[in-house]
Amino acid sequence: MRYPSLKLRRVIPRSLKQWFSKLAKGNEIFLTLSLFTSLFLLLFYPPSLYAQQNQQDRVGCYGDTIVVGSIGEPITLVPILAADSASQQIVGLVFNGLVKYDKDINLIGDLAEKWEISDDGLELTFYLRKGVKWQDEVLFKARDVLFTYQELIGPQTKTPYSGDFKKVKDFSIIDDYTIKISYAEPFAPALASWGMPIMPAHLLNSEEDFKKFSRQPIGTGPYKFIQWETGSRIVLEAYDDYWEGRPYIDRYIYCIIPDQSTLFLELRNRGLDYIGLTPLQYQRQTETEFFSRNFRKYKYPSFGYTYIGWNLNNPKFKDKRVRQAINYAIDKAELIKGVLLGLGKVCSGPFVPNSWAYDPEVKPAAYNPQKAEELLAVAGWNEKNKAGFLVKDNQQFEFTLLTNQGNEGRRKCAEIIQQRLKEVGIKVNIKIVEWGCFLDIIDKRRFEAVLLGWGLSRDPDCYDIFHSSKTRPKEFNFVSYKNEKVDKLLEQGRRVFSVGERKRFYHQIHRLIYADQPYTFLYVPDALPIINARFRGIEPSVNGIGYNFIKWWVAEEEQRYKLQE
Amino acid sequence: MNKLILFGISIIAVLVLLAVFAPFISPYNPQAIDVENILSPPNRVHILGTDSLGRDLFSRMLYGTRVSLEVGLVAVSVSLIIGVLLGSLAGYWGGRVDNLIMRFVDIMLCFPTFFLLLAMVAFLRATIFNIMLIIGLTSWMGIARLVRAEVLSIKEKDFVRYAKAMGAGNFKIISRHILPNALPPVLVAAVLGMGGAILTESALSFLGLGVQPPTASWGNILMEGKAVIDIGWWLTLFPGMAILVTVLGYNLLGEGLRK
Repeated sequence: MRYPSLKLRRVIPRSLKQWFSKLAKGNEIFLTLSLFTSLFLLLFYPPSLYAQQNQQDRVGCYGDTIVVGSIGEPITLVPILAADSASQQIVGLVFNGLVKYDKDINLIGDLAEKWEISDDGLELTFYLRKGVKWQDEVLFKARDVLFTYQELIGPQTKTPYSGDFKKVKDFSIIDDYTIKISYAEPFAPALASWGMPIMPAHLLNSEEDFKKFSRQPIGTGPYKFIQWETGSRIVLEAYDDYWEGRPYIDRYIYCIIPDQSTLFLELRNRGLDYIGLTPLQYQRQTETEFFSRNFRKYKYPSFGYTYIGWNLNNPKFKDKRVRQAINYAIDKAELIKGVLLGLGKVCSGPFVPNSWAYDPEVKPAAYNPQKAEELLAVAGWNEKNKAGFLVKDNQQFEFTLLTNQGNEGRRKCAEIIQQRLKEVGIKVNIKIVEWGCFLDIIDKRRFEAVLLGWGLSRDPDCYDIFHSSKTRPKEFNFVSYKNEKVDKLLEQGRRVFSVGERKRFYHQIHRLIYADQPYTFLYVPDALPIINARFRGIEPSVNGIGYNFIKWWVAEEEQRYKLQE
Repeated sequence: MNKLILFGISIIAVLVLLAVFAPFISPYNPQAIDVENILSPPNRVHILGTDSLGRDLFSRMLYGTRVSLEVGLVAVSVSLIIGVLLGSLAGYWGGRVDNLIMRFVDIMLCFPTFFLLLAMVAFLRATIFNIMLIIGLTSWMGIARLVRAEVLSIKEKDFVRYAKAMGAGNFKIISRHILPNALPPVLVAAVLGMGGAILTESALSFLGLGVQPPTASWGNILMEGKAVIDIGWWLTLFPGMAILVTVLGYNLLGEGLRK
């Protein structure tokens, strides 16, 4: 054994072991399209300004364990394959990219100490940090970056992230710590794309290695992987030789509890230190003295949106007018009130409303069932059967809305939509399936409509989601959206650097996508994390709270868990 | 009629009336969502309060009564048909047929019923009818055994021998002479089985595998209530009580009939 076996002095409460009734509802899980650097942002987000006085007065203190609860279990810990937020969360602690976002959402060096961009924007030179060690003590060098790049563009690698890297014209290693990357044409998200976590070249020689790695990764990050008990928990431990300095918190335990109410009970029993609350929990169930004494709550708009994705290969949804009708038939204000209890915003396109890419001129359609019925009639759905549902060619308008288990909000959302669509004559069957199975159904395109959310990166580039070339298995355009104009604009949007110019393209994209309705955009929920009050050093910023996780600490007298040799 | 029967029957009668007249009694559409009134406690407008989508709990409970009673009836009918058929075949013919059928019963009994149920639900679509069918298909073994035992003892009685001697066919003997005499204990088992079937449906719905939204059933109301048990006690208390009382009604009736 490499690591001495460690025992928790105060063992985690028993009840932690009893969670795995995979039976009910939970947190927001997002499929995530994002830079890896922004990865934790999904769960660790920018909070409302909570008073955090006196915390900076003291110096950090080593020790203790943070127990994070989540409804999702990671699919894989191979960074270039990790597409769901649970996988990314762990990957983000174990690995580093070349660059990352700081608290003000500026790109700063991570494994790269600095970089240069040529004047024409076509060449990028990274100067890598020296002396960074993989968690098996081997030095990190340029070959690791090359290796990661080659894997990303490898034809047999099923990664949703290849798009950004296929733009690279030439990748050359100048010396062990310098690499030069050139692009055939200007590519705006280039620098940010190198936030992709870097994998160790010396450990991954065969398919077998990858298989092992997906459950036992080794990275350069602040935490090293210790253990993964399937369906139960993942244990990480502080990496002593981490180049930024060892993180204060000794252990990070990621607990998988696929049920939001069980998560909440476990938090209340103090078996968990950190979870994302549901709006109901935030607004009604944590307004007690017990919670204000023992926990801190945060609230801020999340960087993602919830939508219904229509399988555009399905004859029912091929017709744009049908999708537009459905957009009119769903009352978003009602959803925000009913599902989010007001803790969120409407959203009319593929960007979050406070991003520069979002065109405020595109107003979300007001609820208008008459207009919906008119549009449906124009599309040929003009007769109703006895049950009150629309009929065309002897077929009832009926479809299955698929969503993931564990997410109480999505279930409620689906029920409200079901009710509203029934009023215009569309029968909706709700199907709720377990997360892994859900992703599988999406990968195989065996769905009619999905209710899902995207977590977004800071760059508005949504090429991977809407470009018509990204429809292969495991890629993110799973609704098979194709619009040549949008394709072109998506390409143009990545070619220019100035925000002013890009804005024009993205506003157009927003308008076109809104008109096409490949998705019915529903809302941007607020992120509602709650953290045990003993953790200090949490500094809310526009970039959330996760960016300085390694600086979080717990005062010695308040530590709950001690490691024993 | 003893008190148990009377008590049981009156509970069931009330429930049946509520179920039949649900559309007339219920003050609201059970599926009408009202986001202005999320989780309001019992009050004058919503006498049992509302759920987390603002739907009226009383109306949902009424329609849930329909689901529960239907499930009891249909599931038990299915298990009666299978149980009586196989039980009488086994008992009457004996020998290899008996052996075959009873070993099959044993095999079915070996499976933990609930896992069998879950497995079947996973295969079929979770419509109300399928749920009832599945519950019936997994609960006929007791009845089959009971019927077999009864048939075994009855077929040795003189009146059966007499019928045989008169040249009556096997089918006629079973249906005319044996089954009517075997029925009373089976009836008791069936009535008790209804309570069981209702509980099973509630459990399945509680796990999210039973009756699907937007249809209300006591089980899925309970499931929703579980998440908000600290701020919405009415969502767990009322359906819980309803299940309790209904099952109690059937059990009292069954016990009464047994005497």
